[in-house]
Amino acid sequence: MLYLVMLLQLILAIGMLGELGLKLIVTSALLVLLIYIWAYTSEPKGSYHALEREQIPWLYDGVAKMAKKAGIRMPKIYLLEDYIPNAYSFKNTLVFSLGLFEVLGEEEILAVAAHEIGHIKNGDTKLFPVIAYSRYLMMLLTLMIVVVTKSSLVSFTSLILYALYEMSRAEYLKKREFGADHTALGLLDVPLSLKHALEELKYYEDLRENVKTNALPSIEPSIDRKQGTQIIETHPSYDERILRILLEINPGLPQNRLQ
Amino acid sequence: MEPHEFKLTEEGIRAVLPPLEAEIMEEMWKLKVATAGQLYEILKERHPDIRRSTVSILMNRLCERGLLKRNVETGRGGMRYVYSITTTREEFEEKVVKSILDALMSNFREATYAYLSKMKK
Repeated sequence: MLYLVMLLQLILAIGMLGELGLKLIVTSALLVLLIYIWAYTSEPKGSYHALEREQIPWLYDGVAKMAKKAGIRMPKIYLLEDYIPNAYSFKNTLVFSLGLFEVLGEEEILAVAAHEIGHIKNGDTKLFPVIAYSRYLMMLLTLMIVVVTKSSLVSFTSLILYALYEMSRAEYLKKREFGADHTALGLLDVPLSLKHALEELKYYEDLRENVKTNALPSIEPSIDRKQGTQIIETHPSYDERILRILLEINPGLPQNRLQ
Repeated sequence: MEPHEFKLTEEGIRAVLPPLEAEIMEEMWKLKVATAGQLYEILKERHPDIRRSTVSILMNRLCERGLLKRNVETGRGGMRYVYSITTTREEFEEKVVKSILDALMSNFREATYAYLSKMKK
């Protein structure tokens, strides 16, 4: 669906803008490619620290074991100076914030690592930047079609295609997250540790968002970083992921019992 | 840290800090330097249901309040955050008393003077 919508928008741009549309697409595509190459070849700067095995052997060995099982090269591991628990992957690299080590136990951190290895194995770390940069191309094309063409029907069609693109992009990214969880479950010695990790991270975020004001009246959201709100969520919720994990581990469980 | 609230019904530093934050500070004044994990192990004995997340969030909140500071330490066991106190208990209590008296003096100058002089006698 995502690729089909993109293709339709490209055809519309070439059809309506003619040579200008073609030039725009080629230039933007080249620009996207250049940004992609730059992003793919540059190393992280700032508060990132490359992890040596002797620093945290259980993490290093755990990642090595899972990488071998997944059939990928041993990823580089970085620690990020940030007190908010977070983990992510890019290229063949895993990043763990120091805050993660404050809120999760060893098995749970390995579960988070397994999810990120899942992204690498499934090719998401190569694909996600392309999707992210292509979004700008879609925005630009839509804007140009709306501004340049005089037909309101064409403008309307282009806007609809853009809306469809945003929805299918969100759906696509969610699917990839579920896919990374699925891969992680196959890599982990204790698959339930991924569920436990997600539950703890959900608890942390709930606490940050002042949900548990009655239990802890002192929590004020002002101490935490401001987060932008998204109109279309590109990440599945913790509950959705936990439910899927439970269903995958216990295929016999009826969904209504879990909800 | 300047206290903005004083609870007349609470004892000690709980009058100016929420209960769990006060407990963390009590422990931190004893330890002076600790990780969130160490504090979690201590608090878990008194609060079996407490979670690592709660301790981490509260310790970072105490950093925001200026009562603790956070540093990265590299050693055995890898990199981690270590928290240390920025003020002694005595300095903190002195600040609390000063802030309260300043507030009383600016709002109820005469009555505060009268009461303090009565106390002196």
